Amino acid sequence: MKIRKTISAIIMYLILAIALVIVFFPVVYMFVSSFKTNMEIMVGGTSFLPKVWSWDNYKYIMNSMEFPVPKLLWNSIWFTVISVFISTLSACLGGYVFERGHFKGQKIWFAIFTALMFVNFGGATIVPVMHIVSGLGLMGSLWGIVVQTFFGINIVSIYLVRGFIAGLPKEMDEAAAIDGCSFFGIFVHIIAPLLAPIVATLAMLGFQGTWNSYLGPMIYTMSDPSKGTLVSALFSLKSSGNAAANWNIMLAGSVIASIPVILIYIFGNKYFMSNLTAGAVKG
Amino acid sequence: MKSSAKSIELKTAKKKPFFTKHDIECTVMISPSIIGFFVFTLYPILWAISKSFNYYTGVDSQTMFVGLENFKNVFVSSDGYWTALGNSFLFTIGKLPIELPLALLLALIVSKKYPGFKSARIGLYFPTIISVTVVGLVFTNLFSYSGYINGILQKFGMLSEPIDFFAKKSTAMMILIIASVWQTFGINTIYFMVALSNVPEDVYESAKLDGAGPFVTFFKITLPLIAPVFATILLLAINGSLQTGDIVLNLTNGAPGGQTEVAQTYLLKKMVPGFASPSANIGAGCATAIINAFIYTGVAVIYKKISNKVVSYY
Repeated sequence: MKIRKTISAIIMYLILAIALVIVFFPVVYMFVSSFKTNMEIMVGGTSFLPKVWSWDNYKYIMNSMEFPVPKLLWNSIWFTVISVFISTLSACLGGYVFERGHFKGQKIWFAIFTALMFVNFGGATIVPVMHIVSGLGLMGSLWGIVVQTFFGINIVSIYLVRGFIAGLPKEMDEAAAIDGCSFFGIFVHIIAPLLAPIVATLAMLGFQGTWNSYLGPMIYTMSDPSKGTLVSALFSLKSSGNAAANWNIMLAGSVIASIPVILIYIFGNKYFMSNLTAGAVKG
Repeated sequence: MKSSAKSIELKTAKKKPFFTKHDIECTVMISPSIIGFFVFTLYPILWAISKSFNYYTGVDSQTMFVGLENFKNVFVSSDGYWTALGNSFLFTIGKLPIELPLALLLALIVSKKYPGFKSARIGLYFPTIISVTVVGLVFTNLFSYSGYINGILQKFGMLSEPIDFFAKKSTAMMILIIASVWQTFGINTIYFMVALSNVPEDVYESAKLDGAGPFVTFFKITLPLIAPVFATILLLAINGSLQTGDIVLNLTNGAPGGQTEVAQTYLLKKMVPGFASPSANIGAGCATAIINAFIYTGVAVIYKKISNKVVSYY
């Protein structure tokens, strides 16, 4: 019996080891190859490591025309920070209102917001939204997307916050209400300070989602990709005709675009998975 | 007498206004989403529906009402929509039989309490956080004609000459599936792990006492007990794979010659500026998108009917 258990443990460790090698291989390959010359990357061959480790690719893209890193990095940062702040705040307000509020139209709005999760017109709605954004004079910059985030409905996040607030005791709200605190005041003074764990989850998921988004930023900054983000500029570069000549730029760019998300994941991985497990545990 | 009746009326009216202060407060707090619903959701949908009855290239003066022509053309013309939709199904059928059993196997393993397995979970989920653009880039490079994979396969004598993976539909599709499984299996692993954690421990113990082996335990106990959750995971996976567009756009971008285009990328390229030609008939794109939306919904409904039957059978 004991031998059987040891064998099954060995098999399990072996399967996991293989899976983890496959998981990390492409990412390690990306890091390592970003130090190669373009010739080496294109011809590839069997050498995994670069012949000479060189920072040339990184030095080059720091002030290149095709992929101006300082500018794109700044765009990625402000765009992500503002979007995440807005979407997290709106999810917290939405979750609070739908959980603790009892107002006219509550059920209808909640049903509509939920139903939207299943509506997919695959690109048909992109064009009219662009018309609205260009009507606001925001075409050609990331602000067009920030506006959509501000007015957006993130029902999954609202569900998460609502579930979280449902687990908080109601006595404190009631005491505050008796003391004359308004509904909004209760949110600011009582509920908001308790939301830290769920805010961390939303902020990290939001960071990853916004940082990695490419389609919106690409479409709205088409006239000048350097006004987009790191990821959208990468996408434009790969879609452009002379992508093959730019492998070294694209791989070094991929590394720079990936590092922030990887760092966030290393320090906050439990928050990433908690959103998947939270809903399920409650059934 | 008259005046007192009036004052009572006024009082009750004052007591119960149609919107209380609380109603207004709540509505104001979610007002951005409500405004957004009208401006950025409802209006665009109505716009798309109305344009689907028109010939429309973005120039208002050339817009023409064509009735159901656009819808008819989706079924009559052969400009690639049905191939693209077929590819969406092909992609789903190719991907899920690899991804879900793999995710379930890994979930069964990492659910065990062995040293290091908790860290392994974090590792398995790692690919999902990487940008799909980066994934597309790296896999394009890895599988290119003179790339690393071809090089290694040749070195170990598994290939006599390199394969041009992106020159044939079958191999290009295969790479799309590999890259997509690589990126998303971690999510399903975590879903299955949660499902497994809800199976009570004593069920396994009594099975063990009855002398059930690991395979019997899995098929007779674990699988039936997680069947309802499995059905939901499968629905999400089918829905997600059918609506995939990102990995195709970032990896093959339809290569070779549009043969790996899927429904989502087809629609983008039909009407979205930057992808579509400036003179594209957006109305036709809208009509296709509407038909497409109905097909997706139909799949979900049919799936729900079948899965309810299967789950109740368990």
